[in-house]
Amino acid sequence: MQSNKKFMVMIGGVIAVVIFWIGWVSSNPADEKAMATFVSVEQLLDDNINKRTKLGGLVKDGSIIISETNYLDCTFILKEGHTELAVKYDKTRPDLFKDGAEVIVTGQYLDGTFYADELQTKCASRYEGDLRDENAYNLTEIDT
Amino acid sequence: MTPIAGGAALNLAFGFSILTVISLIFYTRSGDQRLFWVGQRLSLAISFFVFMATFILSYQLMISNFDIDYVARYTSLETPTMYKISALWAGQSGSLLFWLFILSIFATTTVIQNQNKHHRLMPWVIITLAVIQMFFLVLTNFVTNPFMPTDADFVVANGNGLNPLLQNVTMAIHPPTLYLGYVGFSVPFAFAFSALMNKDTSSLWIQSIRRWTLVAWLFLSMGIILGGWWAYQELGWGGYWAWDPVENASFMPWLTATAFVHSIIIQEKKDMLRVWNMVLIILTFTLCIFGTFLTRSGVMSSVHSFTASSLGPIFLTFVFIIMIVSFGLMYLRKDDLRSPRKMESFTSRESGFLFNNMVFVVMCFAVFWGTLFPVFSEAVRGTKITVGPPFFNQINIPIGLILLALTGIGPLLAWRKTSKESLIRNFTFPILSGLVGAAIFLFLGYKGYVVISLSLCVFVTATIFTEFARGIKARTNKFNESIFVALWRMVSKNRSRYGGYIVHLGIVLMFVGFTGHAFDKEKEFSLTVGESDHVAGYQFELIKMSEAERANHYAWISELRVTDHSGQFITNLRPEKRVYFHKNPDVNRRQPHSELDIYSTMNKDIYSIFSAVDNENGIAFIKIMVNPLVRWVWIGGYILVFGTMIAMWPRKDS
Repeated sequence: MQSNKKFMVMIGGVIAVVIFWIGWVSSNPADEKAMATFVSVEQLLDDNINKRTKLGGLVKDGSIIISETNYLDCTFILKEGHTELAVKYDKTRPDLFKDGAEVIVTGQYLDGTFYADELQTKCASRYEGDLRDENAYNLTEIDT
Repeated sequence: MTPIAGGAALNLAFGFSILTVISLIFYTRSGDQRLFWVGQRLSLAISFFVFMATFILSYQLMISNFDIDYVARYTSLETPTMYKISALWAGQSGSLLFWLFILSIFATTTVIQNQNKHHRLMPWVIITLAVIQMFFLVLTNFVTNPFMPTDADFVVANGNGLNPLLQNVTMAIHPPTLYLGYVGFSVPFAFAFSALMNKDTSSLWIQSIRRWTLVAWLFLSMGIILGGWWAYQELGWGGYWAWDPVENASFMPWLTATAFVHSIIIQEKKDMLRVWNMVLIILTFTLCIFGTFLTRSGVMSSVHSFTASSLGPIFLTFVFIIMIVSFGLMYLRKDDLRSPRKMESFTSRESGFLFNNMVFVVMCFAVFWGTLFPVFSEAVRGTKITVGPPFFNQINIPIGLILLALTGIGPLLAWRKTSKESLIRNFTFPILSGLVGAAIFLFLGYKGYVVISLSLCVFVTATIFTEFARGIKARTNKFNESIFVALWRMVSKNRSRYGGYIVHLGIVLMFVGFTGHAFDKEKEFSLTVGESDHVAGYQFELIKMSEAERANHYAWISELRVTDHSGQFITNLRPEKRVYFHKNPDVNRRQPHSELDIYSTMNKDIYSIFSAVDNENGIAFIKIMVNPLVRWVWIGGYILVFGTMIAMWPRKDS
């Protein structure tokens, strides 16, 4: 019995240490990129939030501008509802990034521009496509 | 016609699942043997009709019957046959049917295998399995039916085609493997539940599920590793693990299952930890269902999630019901669950196992915490805070290293209590090896976690070799056998033990690979033909750019000549930029895809992505990553599979 009690204390101790560790990391992440707050574009602009945030929205049609000097530099306008925000991104863009694509960007808002260091595309048609009308599609061409 | 037959098969299966449960519950009350006999056959009928439905859908996918919505959405006439079949698990309703299909294979095997065994356990085992089947039959019958006819105001002459990302051999194997793992845990869970119902939670049920558990564990491990491999080969961000919610969803049950695989040994040998084993198997099964929920519900934004669907609440309800019923039943059976024996010492193998178990569960909790952090933070503080890989790494690296250390320590401890002399005898060589390793790694200029991780790898490898050497020596001395004969006989006499050590060796090699991640280098640059740039001591020269039109896509191919710092030729890399559905007049329907090229060695991988092409100016945009030691992760994976096979291989006499 004595030994069992000692084990219980030990187990309790381990659990306490782990909860402390998880709590500590949750409040003091070592890497500033470890956490990001999900906000709406409107909220970001209203409150002028400058810490690391995550935004979701659509790429405004025709808003993608690619730098002439460096193809990797690009700006576009992110639309969420009626709110718009200029986003700057300078890394390899995902394959599905295009006008009208649903994207999630992570980064920091500074002086009217959102500097994103992560850009994820989320394309619904990727897994659950709409059916397409074959009249607008020349099949025989592909078969040959 | 056939869609109707498919739907009818699912209806019938649902009906039989109800009948099975009713007749077996009556059997448990009345004890009338005929009712058991009926229930057993009825349960086989559920599986039979599920098989039928699955074969009908597969056949319709193969003959491209676009009158069925599912077929039209996930395949097209051009889809290669192999991927027409794999489309069975590409979409939501198909993958649920596929879940059910695997569950039915397992249920049938369980019923037939135990026809004349475990008479007390089987009725509730069959009931539990039938209820799980019923749940998935409700989904496929009434919520998302795979045989739904096409709902379009035009005749569908050709289907959508399978997403190019999924047209990859690994991707055709990864989901089924993972499913085999997820679903496989239904059987041990059913036995556990039955043991609870029968008020007999001693080691009997454990013996009957040991091999099942290993099979499920093997498939789950393989599924996870293949998923990582696919992400690495196909997705083009240069990694194999991103702490994505759905990856975590498969990792959490793996952690509790791994704990379970260890702690059932204690119950089998010592009849201890009864409560603990119950908790572990219930958690594992619940986490498997929860994983399916995370994948399907769209609660978490993830590459894996399907579009928002109505399945979330249904799955969550099922998860809660399983937990409430199972844990409630455990509470009612608390007297029976009290183990007759107690721990005797900290330095015993029992306590080593117990600690390893706790660390696994703790890690599972940490992953759970991070995965649901957005949900928790929104509930508590009103803001949705998402956590990324750095968070998971920070929390889990130390926990993982403790586990690695325990992998070495545990097997060296004796049952009940380890004497001081044997502690010294067993640990001297491994600890010295670890320390020598640490000194060498520090001398080479490594720091922090890298040194700890690599020296622990040396330490654990040393313990494994010590164990093998000791066993072989004992046999060569006693029976005068040659080393190889001794090794062979030793392993075949004690498969689970030595198979387990081999699995540990696989895990060590995977840790070596994980450690390599600390040294990853990457760079993005643009080149015209003739130009070059360098990354991590390697020179990359663009020697050629070409174009090609192929059956279902158009490709731009860049050819990079890779040389090392001394100008020595290494390889040519040919990453491609492809556009699938390139004939589609609607530009938005065309789908770009980067086909990467990897040069892989034991030492490091050179990973190239052709991210974009500027046709007017002939510029190629290239991303290069140099990832050390990645191959060790895959080698470790092979060894893990090999070791598990040894551990679960049936003995001749049984």
